[in-house]
Amino acid sequence: MNERVIRGRIDRSGALVSADAPLLRLQQRAGAGLDKPLALPHLARLVTLAQRLHRDISRPLYAADDHSDIHALVRITPDADGASLEITDWRARPLVQPQTPAIAEGAVVPQSWAWECDQQLRIVALRAAPDAPPVPEGWEGRSLSELFELQPDDDGRFPVLRGLARQARFDGQRVRAAKMAMELAGEALFDATGRFTGFRGSAVVAEVPSGGEQKTGALVDPAFGSLPLSDPQFGRRIDGALRGPLSRIIATAETISGQFDGPIRADYARYAGDIAHAGRHLLGLVDDLADLQNIERPGFKAARDEIDLGDLARRAVGLLGMKAEEKGIRIDAPRTDDRAPAFGEFRRVLQVLLNLLGNAIRYSPENSQIWIRVDREDDRATVTVADQGQGIDAEQQAVVFEKFERLGRTDSGGSGLGLYIARRLARAMDGDLTVDSAPGQGARFTLSLPARDGG
Amino acid sequence: MSESILSPGIDPPSPTLSARLREMADYLAAPAAGRLTEEQRALSLGIARRMVIDVAARLDPAIDPAALWNEWLRRGLPSATRIAGVCFARAEEHRWREQSAQRSSPPPLLSEPEAGNDESPVIGEELSDVARAYLAVQIADRRRFDALGNPAIAIPDLDGEIFRALLLDIAAWRLAEVSKDAKRAARLGDAVRAETDRQAAESGIAEAGRAYYAVLGADAADAAASAIARHDWPVLIALAAAAHRRGYDDMALALLTAESAALPSLFAPLRLDHMALAPIEASLAMLPARAVSDADQDEFPTAGPAR
Repeated sequence: MNERVIRGRIDRSGALVSADAPLLRLQQRAGAGLDKPLALPHLARLVTLAQRLHRDISRPLYAADDHSDIHALVRITPDADGASLEITDWRARPLVQPQTPAIAEGAVVPQSWAWECDQQLRIVALRAAPDAPPVPEGWEGRSLSELFELQPDDDGRFPVLRGLARQARFDGQRVRAAKMAMELAGEALFDATGRFTGFRGSAVVAEVPSGGEQKTGALVDPAFGSLPLSDPQFGRRIDGALRGPLSRIIATAETISGQFDGPIRADYARYAGDIAHAGRHLLGLVDDLADLQNIERPGFKAARDEIDLGDLARRAVGLLGMKAEEKGIRIDAPRTDDRAPAFGEFRRVLQVLLNLLGNAIRYSPENSQIWIRVDREDDRATVTVADQGQGIDAEQQAVVFEKFERLGRTDSGGSGLGLYIARRLARAMDGDLTVDSAPGQGARFTLSLPARDGG
Repeated sequence: MSESILSPGIDPPSPTLSARLREMADYLAAPAAGRLTEEQRALSLGIARRMVIDVAARLDPAIDPAALWNEWLRRGLPSATRIAGVCFARAEEHRWREQSAQRSSPPPLLSEPEAGNDESPVIGEELSDVARAYLAVQIADRRRFDALGNPAIAIPDLDGEIFRALLLDIAAWRLAEVSKDAKRAARLGDAVRAETDRQAAESGIAEAGRAYYAVLGADAADAAASAIARHDWPVLIALAAAAHRRGYDDMALALLTAESAALPSLFAPLRLDHMALAPIEASLAMLPARAVSDADQDEFPTAGPAR
């Protein structure tokens, strides 16, 4: 755990007026800076929440950029002139561990070479995975473009050169080396002073097309080359490729929508709000797709932690209470002495509950009520989320857990993957997720898990 | 220890139990002494395994590395005492580098993607002697990892005596495994001699460091200070080793086990000022379970409030 406290100060207009280096760097990576509106959407929302509640709040903070996922705990103390931030337990997890000496990322892929080059693209390491063709002799210090004959992608671009210009990761660089077609991907490397020091990555032997007989059912996405959904790298790539740009789109759109840099026409501000909203939706979809890719992996199994569904339900309410409050929805959460000890993976169960509660808030009318109850039936511990929404009929109930099923809704509320993922997760924990509803009578979603004695 | 660790009348123990009891007796004999952590054991063992397999592959590509290693794991490594130092030095250096990399701040993002073009170095320009020597150090360092990025010992970096001892141990194992016929023994003997000569002619990170130090001349202090700022520890160790005319592993171990007070003398030949040493001191201080010479004092503080 990193015990260092990272401090920051937000002024009355929401601008970050002082910040310790890691926070400032994150703000800069989101395209803003000092004396500019806070460009980290999650943190900005928490600051707004603390200011609205006029009290200190402590919450987990999640942020992401091109290079890393950041998890931390933030304490926000609002006052008359703005708010003070104290961030602890700052954990930056590289998306693809770029700092470890492992050139392993590619090497674990069959038929690949692991390589590293310096900032001038001179090769300093080249090794073949055990089943890969041998690396050419005399690679030491040669230029990457000399060793690998670079070929443009379908848009006529060279991903490696774009990566070099941006000092950021790249993938999908087609090359020819040792008479083989290969594909290069690389992570940008930086030293302790933040100076770009080169790339480290893999060169994977491209699959030879089997006489035009494309395997049916293989999902090929133009943005990710021939990487099928089932490839373990897909989730990481989609994360890296989309999360950073989307975060920046959201941050910028929120800045415009909030008119932080001065007044603009109201309809323009509204458009920017729409862009931010759509961006958040897409970011949610990225999360869902990454999850989907993970849970559909053969042999996916969740951990068996000792959990309390009552405690998790209260945590979910704590995280989404603000959202409910915005619609005047009251949540009747389990009391602190309501317990339902169970076995399940802590974060996965919380994810399911956040999905159920988020849906309930999204589809409940304003000024309505949501109930969360925990119970035990024989060897099952259950938690039920019930709302006063329009409900779903029997026909819809049959398909509500299907992938991409949104029951005919066309708003930008969800991806249609949430309930599918939630049920898959529940079943991976030897539990289930069921729905009970009738039109006009709201919906009751019940998550059941193996009960645990005592606790 | 000559006393029996078993109570009289108890049946002879299993080898595992004996080993456990020996370990326990050692522990009880000095409970306050710092010991290897699981991470240090695992890293060192992994390094030893990769080294043995690399050496075996040089001696005779037909050797089954898994069979060799499994047997040595069971019976104990023949050259255990001899290779302990190099494996431990490499493992400690790796822990230090990993920790340093994890603690460094995330890289800056160029606020304007296009601005990166201005900052991009020129590709393909002619290398200066210094740049070429630096590149050679980098290449020599990266050879000290396997294809999966795990720390390893590059054969050119191995001390000649250790390398020869390993060759002989592996050759003996190979002979016992296949047959002891004279022809095969002679072939293996020839291979040992040929590989010993070949290894002696190879150059590793120590030589690359010496060449870099030599070409830097009066600029060595600046290069070392820059390596410290960048947390480029292998380059720093290579330069310090060259300045002291010591081996790379030897220097790495000296640095990684040095008390703070000893750092200035370790870097004296590089003429670094005290301020420049602060990042090394800070980084080393954060490395857990470091075997500093006053370790007992560090790990079991006698002063200060009890908690």
